[in-house]
Amino acid sequence: MLAGATLDALEARADRLDAARLRSRAVTVAAWAAAALLVGASLWTIVVADTDWSRITGESVLRSLGRFARVDLRLLPELARPALDTALMATLATLLGAAMALPIAWLGAANATPLGRPSVVFARGLMTVSRSVHEIVWGLLFVAAAGLGTLAGILAMAVRSIGFISKTVAEAIEDADPGPIEAMRAVGANRTQILFWAILPQVVPVLLGNVIFEWDVNIRRSTVMGLVGAGGLGLAMHRQMAAYEYGGVSAVVLVVLGLILLGELASHHARKAIV
Amino acid sequence: MRARPSSEAAPEAAPPAPGARLAEVAARRDRARRDRTLGGFLALLAGLALLGFALDLLAIPLDRLPGVAGRMAEVLATRYWPPRLSHVAERGYLRAVFDTLQMSIVAAALGMALAAPLAWLAAFNVSPAPRLGQPLARLLLTAFRSVHEMIWTILLVTVLGFGMLAGTLALTLFCAGFAGKLLAEAVEAIDPGPVEALRAAGAGPLQVFFWAVLPQVRVAWAGAAIYTWDVVFRAATVVGFFGAGGMGSYLRESVQRIESQEVAAILLTIVAVVLAAELLSGWARARLARAVA
Repeated sequence: MLAGATLDALEARADRLDAARLRSRAVTVAAWAAAALLVGASLWTIVVADTDWSRITGESVLRSLGRFARVDLRLLPELARPALDTALMATLATLLGAAMALPIAWLGAANATPLGRPSVVFARGLMTVSRSVHEIVWGLLFVAAAGLGTLAGILAMAVRSIGFISKTVAEAIEDADPGPIEAMRAVGANRTQILFWAILPQVVPVLLGNVIFEWDVNIRRSTVMGLVGAGGLGLAMHRQMAAYEYGGVSAVVLVVLGLILLGELASHHARKAIV
Repeated sequence: MRARPSSEAAPEAAPPAPGARLAEVAARRDRARRDRTLGGFLALLAGLALLGFALDLLAIPLDRLPGVAGRMAEVLATRYWPPRLSHVAERGYLRAVFDTLQMSIVAAALGMALAAPLAWLAAFNVSPAPRLGQPLARLLLTAFRSVHEMIWTILLVTVLGFGMLAGTLALTLFCAGFAGKLLAEAVEAIDPGPVEALRAAGAGPLQVFFWAVLPQVRVAWAGAAIYTWDVVFRAATVVGFFGAGGMGSYLRESVQRIESQEVAAILLTIVAVVLAAELLSGWARARLARAVA
């Protein structure tokens, strides 16, 4: 009698487990099917509905690839100066961005902010806007405000950099060891003294590492700022493109690749030297 | 014979006075501090020299810098305000937003499909071809990532003509480079135990991948995929500026006609959809983390 009841209960439990397993498997299958449908429908729009295949033939693709393949190496000496400009633009933008990011990080760190909750929300909002707008859009805005030229590009990249640097620094401030802060408060230090002598020393390694990372990213960005009129290698590329000099475009892309590899090497060694 | 060296060695073996050792440590510390200060000072000088050189070479109009914020506010207030919302509330624009979403979905899916095998090849710990394939895959990923997505867009639009196909392929390459690095880093951080156990039992590279690597990186890869989609979507809003379809093509058209109020409306929608995508990706990643924990 007892054994029978236990057996029934066990069987009911096994049925429930089976049903649950089936349900979870059904959910997984449905999720994958939905994803596949979404990708398939999007693929159909892009490849079938939006593309005029009568204009894209193997021959036309090969022909234009061939034009790019004849790299115009005579252009390389002329590209040295724009390449240097690009690297310097990225450097200045990163420094300016870091300088603007520090006060925002201070406002946005919940444990150090001077004006309480509203200033945290305000600073977090600034960080989000800075990161959410693509650098090309920032470039367009600053070209409108500061005129054509490298200054617009530097400002655009600096503003784009604020988000990442200030967010990571704010998080570092929030994670800072409270010991030194409490010790300074106990001996009567004011807010500014605590900021400079208890918080900042703990944050510097994070700040340096992330500034180097962002410098690397900004070199990549500064190669396209010229496409919206903000100087550097992008401008050289735009000119070659406008003159239908595809070999020249390839030369610019080669220089871009070289510059970014150099930047990656430099930032790798700089990070190693700090850590 | 034996007594002499030992008697000579005795004074050396005796420990020096504690005071002397302290003084030596203090002197060493002082020297180190002086060297550090000097090094910091020199680095500062070099930095300032570089700054001056850069400002001079780029001929940056520093006098324009203090007024830039004011000018920006003025330009925004007089030319961009009020945003012409009627321009973005029409059917064609909604279609463009949808096109942007579709480009980002396909690019993220194809990019991940390209990034996964490349990341497996590029990971130094489990690469099936450590001699040749590993550096080659790494180089390919670096090249995909190094060239800015807008340069990829311009190149592909030139080859394939205007439209979403060129934009999607450009975003795919960007996504493969961006995600590939994240995926390879996840693979390089796995526990080598299961890999070695399977290898010892005679498993081939594919079996090792599916039974030792994939189970360990599934979650990290899923998180990376969601994050990458969000980054790709942000870029997808702009690729149309260089002829590749989506919201960016409206942006280009309005910029070229200098219709700044239309530009303002478009920029507002771009910020809105990017924020929505970021929230969605953040929510999905949080759910993923919860589901695993």
